[in-house]
Amino acid sequence: MHVAWTVKYKPRSLAEIVGNQEAIKTLERWLKSWEDGIPQQRAAFLHGPAGVGKTLTIEALVNDLGMELVEKNASDYRTEEKIQRFAGSASQYSGFFGRRRVILLDEMDGVHGTADRGAIPTITRIVKDSRCPIVLIANDFWNKKFVSFRDKKKYLIIEFKKPRTSELLSHLRRIVAREGIVADEEALKFIATRNQGDVRSAVNDLQALAQGKMKLTYDDVSWLAYRDRKDVIFTVLRQVLYGKTCNAAKQAVNMADVDLDMLFEWVYENTPYHFNVPGELADAMEALAKADLYRGRIRRTRNWKLMRYMIDFMTAGVAMARDKSKPSGWIPFRFPQKIRSLSASRAERAKKKGIGQKIKRRMHISVVTAQNDVLPYVRIIFESSPQMAAGLTKWFRFSEEEVDYIAGGKRRAKAILKLSN
Amino acid sequence: MSFEMWAEKYRPRSLAQMVDQKQIVERLMSFTKSRNVPHCIFAGPPGTGKTTAALCLARDLYGDPYRENLMELNASDERGINVVRETVKTFARVRTLGEIPFKILILDEADNMTRDAQQALRRTMEKYTGTCRFILIANYSGKIIEPIQSRCAPFRFSYLPRQEQDTYLKRVANSENTTLLEEGLNAIYDVCGGDLRKAINSLQAAASLGKPVDSEIIYSVVGRANPADVHSMIKIAIEGSFVEARKKLREMIMKYGIAGSDIIRQIHTELFRIDIPENMKIKLADVVGEVDFRLVEGADEEVQLSALLAKLVEVGYQLKGG
Repeated sequence: MHVAWTVKYKPRSLAEIVGNQEAIKTLERWLKSWEDGIPQQRAAFLHGPAGVGKTLTIEALVNDLGMELVEKNASDYRTEEKIQRFAGSASQYSGFFGRRRVILLDEMDGVHGTADRGAIPTITRIVKDSRCPIVLIANDFWNKKFVSFRDKKKYLIIEFKKPRTSELLSHLRRIVAREGIVADEEALKFIATRNQGDVRSAVNDLQALAQGKMKLTYDDVSWLAYRDRKDVIFTVLRQVLYGKTCNAAKQAVNMADVDLDMLFEWVYENTPYHFNVPGELADAMEALAKADLYRGRIRRTRNWKLMRYMIDFMTAGVAMARDKSKPSGWIPFRFPQKIRSLSASRAERAKKKGIGQKIKRRMHISVVTAQNDVLPYVRIIFESSPQMAAGLTKWFRFSEEEVDYIAGGKRRAKAILKLSN
Repeated sequence: MSFEMWAEKYRPRSLAQMVDQKQIVERLMSFTKSRNVPHCIFAGPPGTGKTTAALCLARDLYGDPYRENLMELNASDERGINVVRETVKTFARVRTLGEIPFKILILDEADNMTRDAQQALRRTMEKYTGTCRFILIANYSGKIIEPIQSRCAPFRFSYLPRQEQDTYLKRVANSENTTLLEEGLNAIYDVCGGDLRKAINSLQAAASLGKPVDSEIIYSVVGRANPADVHSMIKIAIEGSFVEARKKLREMIMKYGIAGSDIIRQIHTELFRIDIPENMKIKLADVVGEVDFRLVEGADEEVQLSALLAKLVEVGYQLKGG
């Protein structure tokens, strides 16, 4: 069963957190200072963009310092009364067994300015005479609803920045190493750069692209560059594969500006992994085959009105195939192999074609016949008899590169080339 | 052992050297004798000597400088109408200087020409009959449009009989100092069935291993050279692994470039060999037929064949009592 890597490789201690070492030190010093008595700043306000480890940091710190964390999302407890009940009482006692308690109010951005009137003043009041550290977390510190937290005498303001690409990179490297995947430095660098310091999203990308592989190459990831952000396509896919109604599945197409052919390939690639009842999978694949039929008709007749039927079958058709299918665990979305191999094998096809042309010149057959009917035998000869291969190399006038390709190995190719000179 | 492709090395150089296709060869020889050749269609399965016959005809006709009077085009490489309008026309209209007043243009795999190109060709053939004779080579003459067919003398090539093939292969093996065992010969005929090009390529690849050629070597060589392992793909599907079966399919299509129509044909054959209830076979034949039709309509090979594989997975599951 698959576990999300963001969970599997969640830092368990401070040392494992990516970047922001200075911010972490400041926070740590402040928490420790409570052991010498209540400091002037009774609350810390952590702010910064998503996915940089604000919540992780406080969780890890509390863990390292042997404290106890009382954690609530501010979005759950946002009326004056509820905040008072939760944070107010907690702030007046230290933890059980003498462990110091830390109150965490996360996702403060979720506190609504007018609907939750009174929430912010309640928090400021609680902070004023809290007997334990209070930590507030938000993305946008400069939002005007947080104006009363800007008092630096009472609040320790700590900004979390996006980790540097190099820091993110070494985190990704650690993960692939633990997963036993050999990854190109280029590929990891690409993921790191692309996610601009968002660790969570980078790790998600990495998992989607690399899980189940032995090797991760640049080709495996480079497609991310020229297409929609993957989370858009993932959301769309989820809606297509698990839509409960026809309309829900169909609307996926409108959710984002995703190229329809591209979306088709995504659905086609991933459908088999999300249906575990054979009859339902057969229905889903047949729906895709129908969509493909319409695609062909559109292409042939240029009748774009038919597009709606293609959409019906590739979305609702797939979704409605589901009855009892319920695959378990976290199933990574896979990048369409068709698109990948189109770009990856272009060079290879060119090489094969060049070889086919040389065979054609000698043997009075078409390039296609040469590739299909003769090349396979030539390959066997190249694998088994260097002498005969050397002779054929001369006869066909294969280049070194072509010999490399046919022989399927540098060393063998070298031996053949040596004999043919 | 020599170091070129044996299929070329032992390709007959004159009509007299040709094995089999006796009646055809006789008629062609009468053409060279009278020094006149009509437009021809050579139709028949691969490896039966169509191209060889055309080349031999030209050589017998012109003698050594035959290359100057001969053009070979392969329609599956140059199938568009522009080839007919430019290359073919330019060659056809220029009169030759030799004793024989016309040149020969061999149009191989002519059944791969587009209809437009064939229409264009029809005029060209008519107009330049005085200066150029056409030999159209095809697997199926049916794919060549009627007006062209009616302008050509038809020749039907058929697979070589077992004996002829054996004689030929033995001769090659002898000249190349290769030991070809009787069981090797049987195996070659079993898998190549009279396709001489395939037979001789198989023999050469087998000989490159440097051992006496027995049936085991032949089967392994031909197996390696023909990756369309439809049998195991179907088996994997029936046993329940769709993803694995699709992987096989992709390998065939993408890595080895096997045409969807070839795969579906083999699936159809295989269908009646596998161990499933008889009534199920005919039900599946309907599904296969539908997919085949969709491919003709221009649908995507992989997507359609995948749907078929998913169907096989379902059938396999039902058979297991699911």
